[in-house]
Amino acid sequence: MSGTKPDILWAPHQVDRFVVCDSELSLYHVESTVNSELKAGSLRLSEDSAATLLSINSDTPYMKCVAWYLNYDPECLLAVGQANGRVVLTSLGQDHNSKFKDLIGKEFVPKHARQCNTLAWNPLDSNWLAAGLDKHRADFSVLIWDICSKYTPDIVPMEKVRLSAGETETTLLVTKPLYELGQNDACLSLCWLPRDQKLLLAGMHRNLAIFDLRNTSQKMFVNTKAVQGVTVDPYFHDRVASFYEGQVAIWDLRKFEKPVLTLTEQPKPLTKVAWCPTRTGLLATLTRDSNIIRLYDMQHTPTPIGDETEPTIIERSVQPCDNYIASFAWHPTSQNRMIVVTPNRTMSDFTVFERISLAWSPITSLMWACGRHLYECAEEENDNSLEKDIATKMRLRALSRYGLDTEQVWRNHILAGNEDPQLKSLWYTLHFMKQYTEDMDQKSPGNKGSLVYAGIKSIVKSSLGMVESSRHNWSGLDKQSDIQNLNEERILALQLCGWIKKGTDVDVGPFLNSLVQEGEWERAAAVALFNLDIRRAIQILNEGASSEKGDLNLNVVAMALSGYTDEKNSLWREMCSTLRLQLNNPYLCVMFAFLTSETGSYDGVLYENKVAVRDRVAFACKFLSDSQLNRYIEKLTNEMKEAGNLEGILLTGLTKDGVDLMESYVDRTGDVQTASYCMLQGSPLDVLKDERVQYWIENYRNLLDAWRFWHKRAEFDIHRSKLDPSSKPLAQTAAMFPFFRKSPESKKPSAPETEADGFVLLGDTAHEQRKAAKGKTSEAEDSQPLEWTGQNLSKFEPLVQ
Amino acid sequence: MFVARHIAADHKDLIHDVSFDFHGRRMATCSSDQSVKVWDKSESGDWHCTASWKTHSGSVWRVTWAHPEFGQVLASCSFDRTAAVWEEIVGESNDKLRGQSHWVKRTTLVDSRTSVTDVKFAPKHMGLMLATCSADGIVRIYEAPDVMNLSQWSLQHEISCKLSCSCISWNPSRKYAKAETLMTVTDPVHDIAFAPNLGRSFHILAVATKDVRIFTLKPVRKELTSSGGPTKFEIHIVAQFDNHNSQVWRVSWNITGTVLASSGDDGCVRLWKANYMDNWKCTGILKGNGSPVNGNSQQGNSNPSLGSNIPNLQNSLNGSSSGRKHS
Repeated sequence: MSGTKPDILWAPHQVDRFVVCDSELSLYHVESTVNSELKAGSLRLSEDSAATLLSINSDTPYMKCVAWYLNYDPECLLAVGQANGRVVLTSLGQDHNSKFKDLIGKEFVPKHARQCNTLAWNPLDSNWLAAGLDKHRADFSVLIWDICSKYTPDIVPMEKVRLSAGETETTLLVTKPLYELGQNDACLSLCWLPRDQKLLLAGMHRNLAIFDLRNTSQKMFVNTKAVQGVTVDPYFHDRVASFYEGQVAIWDLRKFEKPVLTLTEQPKPLTKVAWCPTRTGLLATLTRDSNIIRLYDMQHTPTPIGDETEPTIIERSVQPCDNYIASFAWHPTSQNRMIVVTPNRTMSDFTVFERISLAWSPITSLMWACGRHLYECAEEENDNSLEKDIATKMRLRALSRYGLDTEQVWRNHILAGNEDPQLKSLWYTLHFMKQYTEDMDQKSPGNKGSLVYAGIKSIVKSSLGMVESSRHNWSGLDKQSDIQNLNEERILALQLCGWIKKGTDVDVGPFLNSLVQEGEWERAAAVALFNLDIRRAIQILNEGASSEKGDLNLNVVAMALSGYTDEKNSLWREMCSTLRLQLNNPYLCVMFAFLTSETGSYDGVLYENKVAVRDRVAFACKFLSDSQLNRYIEKLTNEMKEAGNLEGILLTGLTKDGVDLMESYVDRTGDVQTASYCMLQGSPLDVLKDERVQYWIENYRNLLDAWRFWHKRAEFDIHRSKLDPSSKPLAQTAAMFPFFRKSPESKKPSAPETEADGFVLLGDTAHEQRKAAKGKTSEAEDSQPLEWTGQNLSKFEPLVQ
Repeated sequence: MFVARHIAADHKDLIHDVSFDFHGRRMATCSSDQSVKVWDKSESGDWHCTASWKTHSGSVWRVTWAHPEFGQVLASCSFDRTAAVWEEIVGESNDKLRGQSHWVKRTTLVDSRTSVTDVKFAPKHMGLMLATCSADGIVRIYEAPDVMNLSQWSLQHEISCKLSCSCISWNPSRKYAKAETLMTVTDPVHDIAFAPNLGRSFHILAVATKDVRIFTLKPVRKELTSSGGPTKFEIHIVAQFDNHNSQVWRVSWNITGTVLASSGDDGCVRLWKANYMDNWKCTGILKGNGSPVNGNSQQGNSNPSLGSNIPNLQNSLNGSSSGRKHS
């Protein structure tokens, strides 16, 4: 504190006040700024606190150390140790009428002048103040003063006048200490031991000494260099820290012979070491020229056994500000809070955080422990579904019976929330596959049925080299284009793509109508165009422009289309091929790509990634020759597999290829629910037996278990056993229902309530019931158990073997 | 995106671990006050402490649940060099009337000569097994041959790691017997966690050290490896974040292994999630006391304008402060 380096102290009782001392004492008041603006003249201490200067005291020059009186009254009474060894009582309080007025200005004078190094108020007898001084050959270095003792007039008045000019008549000098200890020695640091009012621990010149005031002739001491900054752990009164240069020694007073441990040495000398008063075993240290406070977290209760176990120490460091730190002070009551001051007196208030431990619950809430507190955190219900995690999504989808609509298979994407275009594509694909498998089986049983589920890639392959192209007339134009003659396989492929319906009619009319109904005008126009019906395409665009939600610009596109000319070098062609790249809608873009393309080269359409896979594949089936088509499908399949894009299931079907594709989808999304239900839709047995498929199914069942969706799992198992008879159907399904009738009180079984297949039954489902009812889900999982009687049960009975 | 609420924990000292059971309806906490508490979720969604008892004669570092198939079983480990297995007893005692349950110690595992720093039950399909690790760097794997008898545990393996161990995590896959060392992590590791596998073709491992790291472990295709021997893994680091400024203390995966939560020296809980391109991003930050950071928990980074107004107040830590200049 030699004028340049400020020190900082919190008031022991008025916890919103602190003092910064360098050449003068400045008292500050701390305020929270959480709900208010920063007041004029306040200094910001942290994001949510600021300090206001209350008063400055410059009465006491040559300050070496300061200690705050530990009693509540009088407020802001400080003892200041000076360079000449005197100790002065001074006040920063506004209350000058206090009954302790006499104390203020009192001075305690040693026989021989030398520097005062340290001060310590006795925590039990509040009037006792210990002062540690430099060495003097003929004097003691530890003086214990009673601040209430009467003044002694036999002191040289000269000195008195000089040191306290202006207040001569009230100044009181005390020259007779209560105790004098440590003759011909130096005292560098002091602290009272909380064990007994009369025990004082002092860091002397070359030893640590415990003085017992009941018998001053005796002292306990240990030779050591670590004599600076002695301080007692407020939580374990036998644990003491002291330091020397860059090293901190921790002592156990019960075995005082040597330090119980020394902390890792710092490269620079330490300036302050302090135990956290609000938390066990946390020691803060500061070195010279550093902007870091190093913390040592001693993580256990010292056991009385006192064996050799070293405490687990976790070292941490905090950087409260960018500048070097001059000093710091722990807040006396706020947990782990401290204030630091830099040499140029900027201050900052901050809290050292406890190590937070955390855990996720299976129903996506996060619990964490910070210090002694627990916090639970749950995802908000009303969140945008796109941001929801897959865990939440799968849970909601399970509740809405996603995957279980085996009749209107496409509806599953609605059950999934109707938000994911890939899922939409997947479930439509599976829907068509199911539909045409049944169709095939009816026509010629056991023939091509299985081929449908093998995807377009296999279908196309099976018809290699059997197709020839022929020229077809454009309707509404005097133009002809080469179109492949559609064989049975290509028709099937177009059916799976959704372009044409059942039967042998190659008519996209119904498909166009449904697209128009859905408001997908651009797509409809493109499909019309690909079917060589430019008039219909223009008509659709006009329709779109005039509809409510439509885009007026579609008229402009229609106009551009109508200007189509077959002339190779026309302006129209030139403009369209450059301007088409500026169209935002991929379907409008591919329309012009198609019209301006050279015959037989359709890359502008085929490799436009924003166009749905089903439309590109259907286009390819119409326009590419067998070998081209094969190459294209092969390439696209690999692309889809790589990306884990569910649209690709159209190509791979539910084959090994499909499993590969699904594998990258699961790797990417974690959506084992879709993977399981998709594979259970119609995969051949050898695919179902694939290790990966089994693993997805197992994982999904495990999720349902964790969520306690018991009969969702039962439904899943029944669904599974339909396709894979070898997967053990639940003979116990019926038997488990009575369990759900258990009253909530009878929960928490002790013995493992395990059935043969690992079915664990725990009662109480009311919470899920409540949650589900709150949610948007159409059907609440757990509202069923209690009403799960006759009709529902009978629905399942035939399936249970 | 996330809101936090406080739960009165009533532990007399620091809480070191929180653990959910398989269903997330029960929770256990352990503390330096040498006790373990068990909490049950009520119908209204509130947590009630239904048991609290002294488990060890030192700080209890970790507590973990066995799969409910094995009953209501907990394991704890402590500074007192032991790990213990506990089972809940349902009796007709007065406890029940007060809404309290009774836990009895089934076994004490005393093999460690130093503080036992972590304990974890193995994945269910491996049977009733648990692993412990200790400050002297020994991982021990125990098995209860008879799942009905929780007092019989045999020490199956003792693996010396030469370095002090702070944490262990079971890989959720079927088999174990492999050896891969992540040599790139050179700083003290405070926590590790394998993500629930969920049918992925690779494993994800999160590591809490001086930053958050996420690794993927892809099994090298069988055809390429020499027959027999343990599976080899191709290890990639897919994310590394120093947003906690210094030490990262804990990492935890959600049930699908798609969201990672981490806690660190900045006193915040951060959530990490990968987008469809496998780019991991921070999707939420909450302060340790549950309040959102800068009133906006969704934003990945703390409000930059506020930060620049008061640079000296930022409570940053030295670990990553090399970019800062001393003024």
